[in-house]
Amino acid sequence: MAIVNLKGVTYKYPLTETPALSNINLKINEGEFVAVIGPNGAGKSTLCYTLAGFVPHFFKGDLQGSVEVAGVETKTSTLSDWVLNVGLAFQNPFNQISGAKYTVYEEIAFGLENLGIPRGEMKERVDQALTLTGIRDLADRSPYSLSGGQQQRVALTSILVMQPKVLVLDEPTSQMDPIGTREVFGVIRSLAERGMTVIMAEHKVEWVAQFADRVIALYEGKLMMDGRPGDVLTSERLVGKGYGISRYTSAAREASRRGLWPRNRELPVTLDEAVMGFGGFPLPRGEGQGVRGKGRK
Amino acid sequence: MKLVDSIKKDFNTVTWVLIPVAIAINVVMGEIVVLLKLPIYLDSIGTVLVAAVCGPWAGALTGALSNTIWGLLIDPNALPWWPVALFIGFVAGWCAKFGLFKNWWKVVITGFLVALTAAIASTPIAVYIYGGITASGSSFITAYLLQTGQGLIPAVFSTNFLVEPVDKISTSLLAFAIIQGLSTRFLARFPRPENVEIEQGATRNQLFYAIGIVVVLVLIAAFILTRILTQ
Amino acid sequence: MRERLSFYVKRESFLHNLNPLTKLVLALGLTLIGFLSPWYWTPLAIIFFIIAPLSFVGKVQRDFLNAAFRLILPATGFLFIMQALFQPVGKTELFSIWFLHVTRESLAYAFENATRIFAMVSSFTIFLLTTHPSELMSDLTHRGLPSQFAYVIISTIQIIPQMQAKAQTIIAAQRSRGLDTESSLFKRAGALVPLVSPLVFGSLVEVEERAIAIEARGFTSRHTKTSLREIPDSSFDKALRWILLLLVVAIIAVKIWLS
Ligand SMILES: Nc1ncnc2c1ncn2[C@@H]1O[C@H](COP(=O)(O)OP(=O)(O)OP(=O)(O)O)[C@@H](O)[C@H]1O
Ligand SMILES: [Mg+2]
Repeated sequence: MAIVNLKGVTYKYPLTETPALSNINLKINEGEFVAVIGPNGAGKSTLCYTLAGFVPHFFKGDLQGSVEVAGVETKTSTLSDWVLNVGLAFQNPFNQISGAKYTVYEEIAFGLENLGIPRGEMKERVDQALTLTGIRDLADRSPYSLSGGQQQRVALTSILVMQPKVLVLDEPTSQMDPIGTREVFGVIRSLAERGMTVIMAEHKVEWVAQFADRVIALYEGKLMMDGRPGDVLTSERLVGKGYGISRYTSAAREASRRGLWPRNRELPVTLDEAVMGFGGFPLPRGEGQGVRGKGRK
Repeated sequence: MKLVDSIKKDFNTVTWVLIPVAIAINVVMGEIVVLLKLPIYLDSIGTVLVAAVCGPWAGALTGALSNTIWGLLIDPNALPWWPVALFIGFVAGWCAKFGLFKNWWKVVITGFLVALTAAIASTPIAVYIYGGITASGSSFITAYLLQTGQGLIPAVFSTNFLVEPVDKISTSLLAFAIIQGLSTRFLARFPRPENVEIEQGATRNQLFYAIGIVVVLVLIAAFILTRILTQ
Repeated sequence: MRERLSFYVKRESFLHNLNPLTKLVLALGLTLIGFLSPWYWTPLAIIFFIIAPLSFVGKVQRDFLNAAFRLILPATGFLFIMQALFQPVGKTELFSIWFLHVTRESLAYAFENATRIFAMVSSFTIFLLTTHPSELMSDLTHRGLPSQFAYVIISTIQIIPQMQAKAQTIIAAQRSRGLDTESSLFKRAGALVPLVSPLVFGSLVEVEERAIAIEARGFTSRHTKTSLREIPDSSFDKALRWILLLLVVAIIAVKIWLS
């Protein structure tokens, strides 16, 4: 069943002429992990804001077509109700700290206080969420005293605790060092394994290949490709347009040009695939991708 | 319920997030000015900024909170003056609403009106709480005026009126410069971006207007002062 | 510039356990009584017989003394000197400097004024030393203060030290590039722009994203907000608040009656 349904979505920010999104049609099923890739300015963030209701409610502007989540349309809803449908976390972890709280525990409870959840249930949910993302040991620290990776995990937890139906992540690791990146993707991996519906804009395609069931490529506000990660991420159509392309893909493509990689073999995205490919083994694809895909038919 | 609507209009989420930043700007500006030993305060830049882009009620709240928090946590002598800061934000907000924040000579007028407000609002506080002599260097002037036989209220008001315009006009101009440095895209998030839409005009003429206005203001100020002092 | 912009000292004490509103009313009540009382000795009595003992009750006597000597005394001391020198009241001249005459009356006025301010600031200091800002704001929100105010206050208290730290970094960087705080007025005024613009613009651009972040967490939700913290309000608290209110009214009555 499609939980997210975009029909003919075209959007212009206020005072602009060129649409940031044009004619996007997109259905996402419950439990799917969809990655969104695209060069700078392609409209990834705009798509995330549209799903999360900030377009049109916060940014105003001109939104054509319809955006539905769980059968409700954004235009007819309010932003404060919409946050129960779609949770949003984005790049800068520091700016996601509310500032209204002194400890991580209180910070995570902030959203539940706003929703009017009774104290007992609130504590239960905060405890659960802390365990889920593995940051229980940070509970009494000040959010401002944390590293970027820790702050981003707090931001994710603060959204997860509100139990949205769909989680939207806009380049959650783009401002992180390698350690932070690994920490944050660790949490995202566990969400993927739990079958959460996730839509994630992300440049780091090697990570994308590990989680995503499906990849969408945006270009100048248009939906250019939509398909299996292995197909989209290695497509010739991404070359030279500013997309993030895995160095393993590029290497194999070059190798194939020099006749060192069989033309009929799929191109690798991750290190593992590259090693297998160069070793002459077929790539373990076809079963569908993603951490869940491997176990699924 | 026009009043309620007018108040509500000032406050969207961006306003609530901007106010703490504006107060912090007030505090840090105040401290940097002391560090640079400049003869002005500039500690209401944030307040004027909020007033211009969010409106008079948001400006008033920012001013009042700014002084209260400053007074409670940094400098106790600032505490009794919160009504002055409140009026500064309020009047700056109304000026902006009436289009006096759209080019820089109009901003000079805003600065002057804000200064006038500050001078009026601080007079009763100085008189009733401090008997006219406050913990500020400008009380030297008040003392001198009192020695020359002035009444308490005229002496305090004249002192304020001598001190405020330079500070408040500079403050308003700096706030204007900051707003000019922000993108229209960003300003559109605030409740009243139309207040700060820049008016295009010949810059050279504007310069002459501005100089003219400053001269007129100084003349008016001098006139008022002599009237007060000769009464 | 201080690292942490909050006086709160975590202790287990009777005063800490009072309801935050009671302590706020106490601070406001003492301030009003100090200002309205017709007797010049009232502020001193408040300082020595109420606030000082309270600092022991709240187990914050050291922190209170520290604040009193480092913050309140310099500020009120300066006020005292200004008033003593500049107040033109009185005829019993003690001595004079230039055109300034220090009289017995101006000294008395200065003393009364400075002790009032001292009483006001120290009652608020005791309040701040024993009340966690979050507790105060939770309690006030619970009583009907719009929750946005809680957001603004707590956020401000946390942002100011961050901005101060940033300012220090920028000042240090400018110093190494030859910023001289002893140079001419013109140069110092010119130094304002490179100091201030990164600070101001840097902090303003964060505003939009933070607004999105808190909206995403239901900041504008129309539900009645709940609170993680439970703040007790005993009948003793309520009684104390009424007593303070009555005292203020009584002082006003006395003042009117005596005048
Ligand atoms: N608030 C805004 N007002 C007007 N135009 C905007 C606004 N935000 C983004 N745009 C424009 O919309 C287009 C899409 O921007 P968007 O931020 O969605 O791209 P992106 O794919 O997220 O890029 P990046 O990789 O840089 O994050 C760009 O041309 C951008 O300039
Ligand atoms: Mg983006």
